[in-house]
Amino acid sequence: MRKILLGTTAVVTAVLAGAPMASAQQAPTVRIGGSIQAYAGYIQQSGSFSQPGTNYTMQAFAGQPGALTVSTPTGTAIIPNNLAASGVGNHARLGKFDFIAIPTVNVIVSGKLANGLTYGGQVDIVFNNESRAILPGSTNALGTSRTAAAMDEAYVFVAHPRFGQVRFGDEDGVMGGLMNSGWITGFGTGGVLGIWENFQTRQGGNRTQTAPGGLGDNTKIVYMTPQFFGFDFGVSYAPNLGTGGQHGCPNDTNTGLCDRSYAFSGATSAGIPARGGELGVRRNEWQTALRYRGNFSGVGVSATVGWIYGNAAKDLTDLGAQRRTMSDLNIWQVGAQVSYMGATLGAMYQRGDFNFFWGNPVRGDRTGEQLVLGAQYTNGPITVGVNYTNTLVEGGARFGFSSSTGLMTRGVPGVSSTGALQSTNQAMMRRWGLGIGGNYRLAPGLDLIAEYVYHSIRERGRDLDAGRAGIQDRMFTNTFILGTRLAF
Amino acid sequence: MRATARIALALSATALLAACGGGRLVGNEEYGTDNQREMILRQTGRNPADAGIVIFGVDRSRQQEQASGGAGMAVNAFLWRATLDTLSFMPLASADPFGGVIITDWYSPPGAPGERFKATAYVLSRQLRSDGVRVQVFRQVLRGNQWVDAPASAATNAEFEDRVLARARELRTQSAGR
Repeated sequence: MRKILLGTTAVVTAVLAGAPMASAQQAPTVRIGGSIQAYAGYIQQSGSFSQPGTNYTMQAFAGQPGALTVSTPTGTAIIPNNLAASGVGNHARLGKFDFIAIPTVNVIVSGKLANGLTYGGQVDIVFNNESRAILPGSTNALGTSRTAAAMDEAYVFVAHPRFGQVRFGDEDGVMGGLMNSGWITGFGTGGVLGIWENFQTRQGGNRTQTAPGGLGDNTKIVYMTPQFFGFDFGVSYAPNLGTGGQHGCPNDTNTGLCDRSYAFSGATSAGIPARGGELGVRRNEWQTALRYRGNFSGVGVSATVGWIYGNAAKDLTDLGAQRRTMSDLNIWQVGAQVSYMGATLGAMYQRGDFNFFWGNPVRGDRTGEQLVLGAQYTNGPITVGVNYTNTLVEGGARFGFSSSTGLMTRGVPGVSSTGALQSTNQAMMRRWGLGIGGNYRLAPGLDLIAEYVYHSIRERGRDLDAGRAGIQDRMFTNTFILGTRLAF
Repeated sequence: MRATARIALALSATALLAACGGGRLVGNEEYGTDNQREMILRQTGRNPADAGIVIFGVDRSRQQEQASGGAGMAVNAFLWRATLDTLSFMPLASADPFGGVIITDWYSPPGAPGERFKATAYVLSRQLRSDGVRVQVFRQVLRGNQWVDAPASAATNAEFEDRVLARARELRTQSAGR
């Protein structure tokens, strides 16, 4: 290994020592831009009615004494402990109509040196906090306002025609959106991978998609090569799921929220990143992508092969022994799209060890796979499109972990009478959805949008809605959106 | 460790490729994005690099837009405006911003009623270049009651061109300050 790394360094050094190149220098510019989106939504979703007496059960989550949890497809969801003083009583009926507004402000810096090196950076400030992500593991149930400023991307880049580009900071990885092909989202708000999730409540988890952007803006370093003969290659590395500054620990106790925790109690329940993506077991995340782009008689082609790999933090027993309970994240992705005369067709398939929403699966879980298809067509100011996603993943984990014994125990096949015990489930979860949408461009940076999205989650025999009596093993939503958006 | 080895090998291959040269820098707009602003701008046909307000530095996108005159002009806007300014003391017969041709009408200077001038200017370039403008001055003198062609000094053409270029530089400097 050392030889390989040394060899790499030597080659890079040789390249860097090449002939200098002259170029017009440009002083840096600082630009401020942003966007405002406003939508009206009509939502028909299951899980709108929660019933008294079937709500939350008191269950302490590791490192967060007194917090309430409720069974969800992700394992457990954490309920702020002053929302419910006991395990019963919280229930509600949801209507079908809502408005939302999503503003962002961006600061963009760019400049160029005389040696051809371009540099710059970007800070993306959004005012759209997730209801649950604002609860940093404390007793503060109200948390920060949903419209409080929060940082999304924030990175520095340097780029050179000969050496490529390096980005360092909070940014998507090369498979997390930078170099993917085959994901068709350039219509409406992105169809089934678009804004409709903002209208979805969490019952049943319909709002979590395994889409490139969901991999997260965890602080990482990204390197992307120049394009050679149509090909460019990228690699990115992030040590963990942490974003922004600081260490992530919410208080004096080390928990799984601490960025550097490589083993923590309750890790087996944190395969799917939670708390805005910062509580999760994924560690040492590598993303690589090889992309080809070309033009054949007016037909544009783009294809990407990508690979994502990440270790998992270990679970701790009550006695402090480390147990490897989660599989590494290990996914191969292939995507391609072709464009001609305003029409674009795309397809993407990925397969590997993952749960939905880029989660590390529990050891012994089935392999995950996802297919995404899409098409869009632009003619003048009008764009229309459709996309489809179908994901097959493990539902309730097949193995349960006991922190007292340190053993992983295979659940008994079948379904418990309450449907609440995940370890007794061995069913496949199917998550599929379809989005149809259109845009009318009023001006550069301004358009009108109409969109419809259907999405469903099914897992035979598994209760996906703890807020209702009986076993609810099929959750769905129909969302209709009308709105406008402006970017400047 | 196996993953690290794979990545290291990939990086080695990449570095070797880079050493060969001939690569093309991939622009930021060629990468995918999860940024809402960029996605909207891209989908609605606006370049994210030109949108927004420049609060520090020089807005080159605006300069470029001005220089190319936007969609309505085929020649450099600074040269075009400078030529118009320079020849503005003469009556204008025609101006074609697409072809870059300005033709003045005959003009007699107040101090020399016995001679008159006419100028034709060609803006030749989209770029602000010293050879991007050509001026041809025609001269006639009054013989009896007839205007008769007479040679204009060769230096006159060059002087006009110099003035146009100086004015263009002035306009460019003013625009850079904004």
